[in-house]
Amino acid sequence: MREFNAILKNEIIKTIKRPRSFIGFVVVAFVCIVLQAAMHSDGGEMIGFVTSSLENTLSIKGKVMNGNLICFILLQTLIIQMPLLVALVTGDLVSGEISTGTVRFLLTRPASRTKIIVAKWIAGIIYTLLLLIWLGVIALFLSRAIFGADDLIYISSEALTVIPADDLNWRFGGAFVIAFLSLSVVASLAHFLSTILENSITPIVSTMAIVIIFTIIGMFDLPSFDVIRPFLFTTHMISWKDMFEDPVNMAGILKSCAILFVHILLLLGGSIYIFNKKDISA
Amino acid sequence: MLSCSVSGLFAQDGKALIKEINKKFAQVNDYKADVAMKFDLPGIKIKPMRGRVYYKRPDKFRIRAKGIFFLPKDNPMRNIQTLLAKTSSYTSLISGYETIDGKKCAVVNIIPLDPNLELVIGKFWISVKDPLIYMSEITTKENGTLRTRSYYGAYAKMGLPDKIMIQLEMKKFKIPKMLAADIKKSSTKSKGPQKNTGEIYLLLSDYKINTKLKNEVFTGK
Repeated sequence: MREFNAILKNEIIKTIKRPRSFIGFVVVAFVCIVLQAAMHSDGGEMIGFVTSSLENTLSIKGKVMNGNLICFILLQTLIIQMPLLVALVTGDLVSGEISTGTVRFLLTRPASRTKIIVAKWIAGIIYTLLLLIWLGVIALFLSRAIFGADDLIYISSEALTVIPADDLNWRFGGAFVIAFLSLSVVASLAHFLSTILENSITPIVSTMAIVIIFTIIGMFDLPSFDVIRPFLFTTHMISWKDMFEDPVNMAGILKSCAILFVHILLLLGGSIYIFNKKDISA
Repeated sequence: MLSCSVSGLFAQDGKALIKEINKKFAQVNDYKADVAMKFDLPGIKIKPMRGRVYYKRPDKFRIRAKGIFFLPKDNPMRNIQTLLAKTSSYTSLISGYETIDGKKCAVVNIIPLDPNLELVIGKFWISVKDPLIYMSEITTKENGTLRTRSYYGAYAKMGLPDKIMIQLEMKKFKIPKMLAADIKKSSTKSKGPQKNTGEIYLLLSDYKINTKLKNEVFTGK
């Protein structure tokens, strides 16, 4: 166990210290701050566009443009981009070492290949978690500090729902947990492809290509796609939004979480199997 | 000849009832009260909430509550008193009598003299004995018809209701598809026709009347 911890510590330090790991944190901060500034100046206009059909007969009282709404908008915007940031780091964890040849030094250690690949996977998951915590700090807490906290207006295809401010923390908490599971699938996929492929760019591009293809299939409301849609992880990646439905469809959320979890297990299992069988001679 | 004299008598009675209502309203320069709000609006889900209501003559009105809520654009709790007070700006006539909550009510129609006004017609169900507005129906050019149903209790002497139901005509709330958060959901089958009227219920309690409310209450956060 001590040996595994040492490998894990080493992998975490290697992952965090790489320059490309900081790109994700910078991009998240940049996008959040730019959007917050834009919302500060033009947010009222955007809200007016959404509520214009209501305001013929109703007058909306209270602070619609507030930190909770900004956080929701930021999550909605960034969850689409986050897989790229995650894949950028996790897609290179194994293939990067294979292409540079450093993997051979790694395998000279007494630890088993399984321990090495699992340590790399955990390092990727910790990076994903840190990125999400960073997003949470900037999107939720900074937005609340700038715009204040008030009720959230959640717009779905069926209704406009006003969620009270004191009913939001657990929903945001749940949304971040689901987002973490979703991004962990992306990290696991990139890690899996990184184990198969020996080039450091291809797993990153392949991961993004898979995410994009699955998202497009999920978006088209065609009967032929209905059969496969429930099995695509991208279908369940946006389940975090269900935390804001009233009432919350817990059964649906748990089902999505279970499917995401199964994806993670299968991809990790696949990585372990392939890495153990891999002929590393380069 | 007979119909003219009858309508003249009704018109006379309408003004007399409104005069009595205005007398009651005149006793109230300002008030504040606790309010519990409940909403039944098509296409909108919002939980009941509590707040505080403030009014000051002639037309200052505000509900302060923690959070986001909805009120009719033409708020009858502010507009009715102002409308009825300007007796020279409309003609009134009684179109019949109806019984509401066991009280005989005259149906008083208010027609503005100036055709350019936003108000098209106002209809008030006023109890004949101890005049109070039990129901109203105000039709405006822009916002359609707004109905109210008032229930009175301890503050009836001043014309202040304990409960008021405001019913308003609502156009279907169109949610832009690109803005809907649940775009992954496949097209859901319609759950029958959406109703085109919404109701807002206000339960008022603990009135504090004529406390010389400051104007600042109606402005700012």
